[in-house]
Amino acid sequence: MTKTSLSSPPVAIDDPAIDISGLTRRFGRGEHVVRAVDGISLHIRKGEIVALLGPNGAGKTTALDMLLGLSDPNEGTLSVLGMHPRRAVGAGRIAAVLQTGGLLPDLTVRETVSVIAGLHGALHRVAHVMEQAGLEPIAGRRIGKCSGGEQQRVKFALALIPDPDVLVLDEPTAGMDVTARRRFWDVMRQDADSGRTILFATHYLEEAEQFARRTIVLDEGKVVADEPTAKLRSSLGGRTVAATLPQSGDADELVAELRNASDAEELTLDGDRLTLRTGASDELAARLLALGASDLEIAAPSLESAFMGLTKE
Amino acid sequence: MTTKTTAVLPARPKRTLFGPTLFRIEAIRQLRNPYTLVFTLTLPVIMYLLFGAFMPWGSELIGNGNVSFQVMVSMAGFGTATAMSSLCSLAASEVRQGWGRQIAMTPLPVAGYAFTKLMAALTFSAFSVLAVYIAGAATGAEVNELWRWFACAGIILGIGVIFGLWGMGVGMLLNPDSAAALASIAITLFGFFGNVFMPLSGAMLDIARFTPMYGYIALVRWPLTGGELGDGTSDPLWLPILSVVVWTVLLFALAYAGVVRSRRRA
Repeated sequence: MTKTSLSSPPVAIDDPAIDISGLTRRFGRGEHVVRAVDGISLHIRKGEIVALLGPNGAGKTTALDMLLGLSDPNEGTLSVLGMHPRRAVGAGRIAAVLQTGGLLPDLTVRETVSVIAGLHGALHRVAHVMEQAGLEPIAGRRIGKCSGGEQQRVKFALALIPDPDVLVLDEPTAGMDVTARRRFWDVMRQDADSGRTILFATHYLEEAEQFARRTIVLDEGKVVADEPTAKLRSSLGGRTVAATLPQSGDADELVAELRNASDAEELTLDGDRLTLRTGASDELAARLLALGASDLEIAAPSLESAFMGLTKE
Repeated sequence: MTTKTTAVLPARPKRTLFGPTLFRIEAIRQLRNPYTLVFTLTLPVIMYLLFGAFMPWGSELIGNGNVSFQVMVSMAGFGTATAMSSLCSLAASEVRQGWGRQIAMTPLPVAGYAFTKLMAALTFSAFSVLAVYIAGAATGAEVNELWRWFACAGIILGIGVIFGLWGMGVGMLLNPDSAAALASIAITLFGFFGNVFMPLSGAMLDIARFTPMYGYIALVRWPLTGGELGDGTSDPLWLPILSVVVWTVLLFALAYAGVVRSRRRA
């Protein structure tokens, strides 16, 4: 348990953190109208960690803006912890790291954190959030002299100031190097353990795979998938099976059979290394082993391929 | 939609209209901004010395005091207009560039942010007035009664706020670089037509009466001159008052248009 959990209410699993229904936001008029968000309904419980995936222009940023009360929907309703988003933001119950959020280049890191902490009436939290975001070594540096990853960490510190129950992260690790990214997710994992609800949009599919138990895929303003991340991965069907074949007639026969089989796809034979995707991976593995094949590997498809499958037209 | 909350809301600050930490850091920030220091604190003093104290006519009498006093209050008024305009256009540009979104995620409403920034700009203007007044007191700016110093300062700071509306409108409507340039160039032009730098006469004076800074500067000088102009004629009191009222309405409309337009983009 960290200090942060002391002021948070105990996690009540059935309590909605975020409740969205029929959310729609249009831009433009008449024939040029663009439905950036087109009837999204979501229900996120307290303590859940949810990844939001989608290609550029899928409506992620527009949806997050409305969730934070920065813009209003044309249709539909949203509530955060049972409150209007703007009220939840004002009360510091929901906070965000936004891609579109800007910092003032001539302020130092510590000044930036202090200004926002002052507005939240939480100056006592400055030292704590600076430490959590790893900003102590660069506290006196001007924002304009910070790298993109460092600025991202400053925004993260700003989001932590009100000790929010719900944390929204839009591409939180953009511009961070590998070490900073790992550190960031370590902090997030601790946070999640203390009961914070986390909704993050990302381009890095492995971040969703490693961190979110649930993944929502948006495309053209609509929810095209909303499932446990592990299920989403396997929903593409089949696993990739790879093995090194022995030199034998039986092996050649098997390859010939697989080439004509209906549930074997993407078959490649590179020297004596066979790779294919199939729904019947267990049976195939047994047959391969019986034949004397070696270096057998079975892998679930990556989220990336599931994602491509879901969002391609 | 459920209205049930599982726990007592932690103590949170009420929504306020003023951010003390924001104000303090804003002041520090402007103090180390060379542009602000030069244009709002140093330049009005230098212009006062050049056009007033160091001129042979500086000690000539006018109205209730001397020419140095007139130049002093004019430059203090011009310094305030410059400070209000540039600081407010800067504030508006910052809001548009994403810092506004960070602020929008705090309990401080947009109006509170604008108010705090306005107070910071006004504080700077007060410093600008003080600097010119000190220079004036040290170099022979004189008026017959002490209260006239305070009256002029009060008019400068009270009415000078409208140039903050100008800065805000420009900052909201234009991109940051154009906004900063236009805000300061326009203030210099307004100052020229506002009779700040040299007494205008004839057709130029007739045009000047319709420009934004004319009424403001005329009222700033009122405690000294009572409306008397350099060429022997004088303005009735209603004229500068009407000018200030009309321009306040127009500049308010400009600022409002800027806010509305930036909302529509969001």
